[in-house]
Amino acid sequence: MIYEEPKFLPGGDRFIEMELGDELNFDLNFLVHSLSAKVREAEIPGLIELLPNMASIVLSYDPDGISFGDLKREILSHYHAMGSLEDIELLSPIYYIPVLYCDHVTRACWEDYCAKIGDKEYDPDLMVRLNDLDGYAQLARIHSGTEYWVSALGFYPGLASLIALDPRCRMTAPKYNPPRTWTPKGTIGYGGSVTCVYPANTPGGYQIIGHTPVPVCDIAQRLPAFKDDLALLRPGDRVRFLPVERAEYDYVESRVEEGNYVHNVARYAKFSIREYHHWLETLDMTERF
Amino acid sequence: MTVAIAVEKAGLETSVQDFPGRYGFWEQGFPPSGPFDMWSFRLANILVGNEPAAAGLECQFMGPTLVFSDDCVIALCGAAMNATLDGAAIPMWESLTVTAGQKLACGFATKGARAYLAISGGIDVPPVLGARATFHMAGVGGADGHALKDGQTLHAIGGEGVPGRRVKEACRPTIANGKEWQIEVVQGPNDDWISAEGIERFLASEWKLQARSNRTGYRLEGPDWLFAEKASTKGPEHGEHPSNILDHGYPVGSINLCGQTPIILVNDAPSAGGFINPFTVPSAAFWKLAQSKPNDIYRFHRISVEEAQEMRRAIDKLCSEKSIA
Repeated sequence: MIYEEPKFLPGGDRFIEMELGDELNFDLNFLVHSLSAKVREAEIPGLIELLPNMASIVLSYDPDGISFGDLKREILSHYHAMGSLEDIELLSPIYYIPVLYCDHVTRACWEDYCAKIGDKEYDPDLMVRLNDLDGYAQLARIHSGTEYWVSALGFYPGLASLIALDPRCRMTAPKYNPPRTWTPKGTIGYGGSVTCVYPANTPGGYQIIGHTPVPVCDIAQRLPAFKDDLALLRPGDRVRFLPVERAEYDYVESRVEEGNYVHNVARYAKFSIREYHHWLETLDMTERF
Repeated sequence: MTVAIAVEKAGLETSVQDFPGRYGFWEQGFPPSGPFDMWSFRLANILVGNEPAAAGLECQFMGPTLVFSDDCVIALCGAAMNATLDGAAIPMWESLTVTAGQKLACGFATKGARAYLAISGGIDVPPVLGARATFHMAGVGGADGHALKDGQTLHAIGGEGVPGRRVKEACRPTIANGKEWQIEVVQGPNDDWISAEGIERFLASEWKLQARSNRTGYRLEGPDWLFAEKASTKGPEHGEHPSNILDHGYPVGSINLCGQTPIILVNDAPSAGGFINPFTVPSAAFWKLAQSKPNDIYRFHRISVEEAQEMRRAIDKLCSEKSIA
């Protein structure tokens, strides 16, 4: 549920965890990011950083600049001034990410796991079976058939949790047990009802279904998209995956390697929750792409 | 004048850090990093005449051996590492002149775990996302993103330093040889997931620092945790184990309960995840974490948010010229 009144929980001398509710719910997450945007805009003296997540925001503050009580009052006044959720429109850029589904990198990673850790059903086969799909083509069609909402980042730098905005494209997947010791950078993963792009070569537990040559995190800051940020995405952004063939994949990969790849992003895009709710009502949930 | 510093031996994990570290990119998963013992670090900088924020070296367990190309002023604070300059022992908590060609050699930490080396002008590495602090895990900042390596050359900005200054005894953290530490904690943010009996058990027990601890997290070994009813009646999206919660942000210093293993999340910790944080170690107690070693014993002492903020203020006041004799 979304709480009647948010909770302000202390995290030592310089953090507050503000809990707005306690469930996985798109409206609640939208509320979290709308409030975060408002609070950032207000530039409250003494407030240092905001860490929005699924249903809560961790605030870091300088206790010499603002007290726990005053910060709580300031945030609450912005919260109550937000009005109806339905009226909120949020700037929400859409990033287009090309993906080669069920590709050579995915297969090599799975084969490596089977050889080193133990036998496991090939991830795309498992996804097809568990989600009643008719094959890899439908898996790609469903996964790329919706915009995704960046509900949070964290755990690893640049790792974004992406949630399908079209409920007809939501799939579920169990996590690896035991987890992979290694996942190639750019792998597309799916765990629970969340999808992600692995930002670097890291361990991982999501089922893997494809690969993108486009980096979502670049410590070396080689590409123009990473001039001011090491990570591509911020919470409240959107992602759209574009299924591509091997030739296009190779082309993009070479542009990235040459350091002149330009990320494809629609920065003007806004997200209206009223329009989103209206659209949800028109959907026939028995239809599938 | 720039000073070249040849890294003859890198030590166990010597990294460039600045104070307070990297801010503004936490929501994308980049932690603050920065010096673990912020008290000793700032005093070292102040001793040589730097701003407290200037980039210096954090030396863990065993310090480096460095050769300086030009004259400069240095100071070592924090853990005692039997440091020598061209073979002659040098004092801790004092600024001194190093002349061109001299070799600074540090050994194993005999008291404490982390020493801080400040060099006049500060270490000259390019800032990444506004900070020079090293975040090892992702290879960000510092000297090429990682701990120093044998054979590497660093540069310090150099310039006028002030030798012959000393930190007054009463103004330093008390780094002793004892293996038992009292660590302050503030209850919360997720203390309501632990039963009243579980809270008391945590505060009354001894916790052993495990060897698998680093700048990301400090793993503790102790008795089992007892959960409140909420931990078992929660919705399925919170996860199966009682210590699971819907993904949320992690305050730096929070004691993150992964199953039955508490991990204190420190400077390089992940910013978010799906486990509860029943207690938080305030910033004023971080120097104790930084100076303790595996197998040391922690006892936790509960204080209020206001007391934690007062402790921090007291340390901030000590990180100033007033502490210098």
